[in-house]
Amino acid sequence: MQITITVNGAKRELEVTPYTRLLDLLREDLGLTGVKEGCGKGECGACTVIMNGELTASCLVPAPQADQAEIVTVEGLGTKDDLHPIQESFVEAGAVQCGYCIPGMVLASKRLLDEKPKPTEKEVRYGLSGNICRCTGYAKIIDAVMLAADKLAVEGSDSND
Amino acid sequence: MTDQNKRIKDYFCKHTTRCTIEGVKKSKRFVGHDILKADAWDKVTGEAVYPDDISFDDMLHIKIKRAVHPHAILKDIDISRAKKVQGVVDIIVAEDIPDVRQFGLIIRDQPVLIAPGEKMRYMGDALAIIVAETKEAAKKARDLIQVKVEELEVITDPFRAMEADAPNIHPDGNIVITHHLNRGDVDEAFKNSAIVEENRYQTQFIDQLPMQNEAGVALYDERHGVVDIWAATQWLHDTQADVAQSLRLSKDQVRIIQPTIGGAFGKKEDVSVHIHLAIAAMRTGRPVKLCFTREESMITQSKRHPITIINKTGVDRDGYLTAWETKFVGDTGAYASSGPAVVHKGMYHATGPYNCPNLRGVSHAVYTNNTYAGAMRGFGTAQGAFAYEQQMDILAHKLNIDPAEFRLKNIYQKDSITPNGQQLTHSVNAEETIKRVMELSDWKGGRK
Ligand code: FES
Ligand code: FES
Repeated sequence: MQITITVNGAKRELEVTPYTRLLDLLREDLGLTGVKEGCGKGECGACTVIMNGELTASCLVPAPQADQAEIVTVEGLGTKDDLHPIQESFVEAGAVQCGYCIPGMVLASKRLLDEKPKPTEKEVRYGLSGNICRCTGYAKIIDAVMLAADKLAVEGSDSND
Repeated sequence: MTDQNKRIKDYFCKHTTRCTIEGVKKSKRFVGHDILKADAWDKVTGEAVYPDDISFDDMLHIKIKRAVHPHAILKDIDISRAKKVQGVVDIIVAEDIPDVRQFGLIIRDQPVLIAPGEKMRYMGDALAIIVAETKEAAKKARDLIQVKVEELEVITDPFRAMEADAPNIHPDGNIVITHHLNRGDVDEAFKNSAIVEENRYQTQFIDQLPMQNEAGVALYDERHGVVDIWAATQWLHDTQADVAQSLRLSKDQVRIIQPTIGGAFGKKEDVSVHIHLAIAAMRTGRPVKLCFTREESMITQSKRHPITIINKTGVDRDGYLTAWETKFVGDTGAYASSGPAVVHKGMYHATGPYNCPNLRGVSHAVYTNNTYAGAMRGFGTAQGAFAYEQQMDILAHKLNIDPAEFRLKNIYQKDSITPNGQQLTHSVNAEETIKRVMELSDWKGGRK
């Protein structure tokens, strides 16, 4: 069957089976390997994307269900030469170790900061509660989100697009 | 079909951890400076290439048929129905690879595939390698393989495994290795102690659970007789040597290329996807990919050892340790992995950071039909820490002294000698650490 999705701003028409997971569609058909698989069961958050403005575990979404959806993956934020302030904060705060959870963490942070530009530490912890990291112990990831909030506040409201 | 098809050379070194120095300021000293991680840029943008991110045109997908019982003799394996699944390219069973040898980190006790007449020893043992055009076809074929077994007693408790009438899991018996520790006169010291405390402690299986499951891709260059394997390992050259001996290749015919690793914590010390990938690549002549699911990773790959620790500890009236006797029984599961080293290392640390003049210890690493146990952060010492710190607390309460004071009395100083005879000739900051913790936690004495 045919579906239409908008991924990182580009409209795509794709042929899928009813069982194709959105995760595999993004990784294998579109080559967006920044979307990771950690559990395949909706537990770990490594496969997180922002779908129609909401954090979504792409391993749990059958591709046909994403028809007409608007999807943002980590590839849609910034590039190595032009990092999004959240990505920049993760680098600067030392929040990245093996990195496998990081695309999901960055997107969860984006979703949180879009809604709450000045979160408390508790709100940050809650906002990231769907994402498991086995390396860092979370402390520096939380620092990174707080740092990102400051950076975005300085840059002004238009950077929250 | 895919936008991301890269050439082979793109996967060799460009994306691996140590190849960039962006962000590192030119500086001779690193300690005390904020150094940005060289590969953080790749990782925050999703550009870092992990093993399961690698794809080639014309690539085949692998699934592994695993054991159907934790301890059983394989009587028959029937792949005829599985072979008919559309898209299946090859199904490899033990009789297809008669020359392939066993592998293993310390003891080469792990078979690559179980042959009829041989035993499966845990649920992760491999019975067949299914190679197909798609993951779905490989999975479908795997589920159509029929297996007949003769069930044996399943041993899940190392103490049962050590009994005389327990069936042998491996030909040489169930105790993989025994180590002893002896210093001073323990019996005499216990006799002269004010208090002697004996307790039994039990730790549990823990999965290291790195966020990324075991995965890899392999390619066979027939002209040069070289197989390239992109998969995670914590022992690059040991893995290369083990894969080579298993496949009866020379080391220069096996290249292990380390992509970015999604965590390991000891779990990726053992061979996982490597040998099966190499065999499939060499037989089919096409690029092959094998990714474990989380479930498969948990069933198949190593765990932290559950260890039973029996500690008998003596103290004198002034609160100094006099004697320590310990026994470590580690469940290393179906295969030795790092077990022979982990369990006895745990025993050598049985007294923790505390001075004790008289010591006696024994450790056994024991086979069972559980998932095998290997390395995990601390390598046996985490289990020991649970037991010795409990001993210290119990003794402090019995002596009616502050448990922090009790620790300070016995803590390692410079020139202390560890149970295995190492003299600590450099800085030992244990006392300072305890004092700082007391200060920071506003320690009130902790007495009953
Ligand atoms: S892979 Fe989707 S939540 Fe873990
Ligand atoms: S950085 Fe490794 S899992 Fe988070």
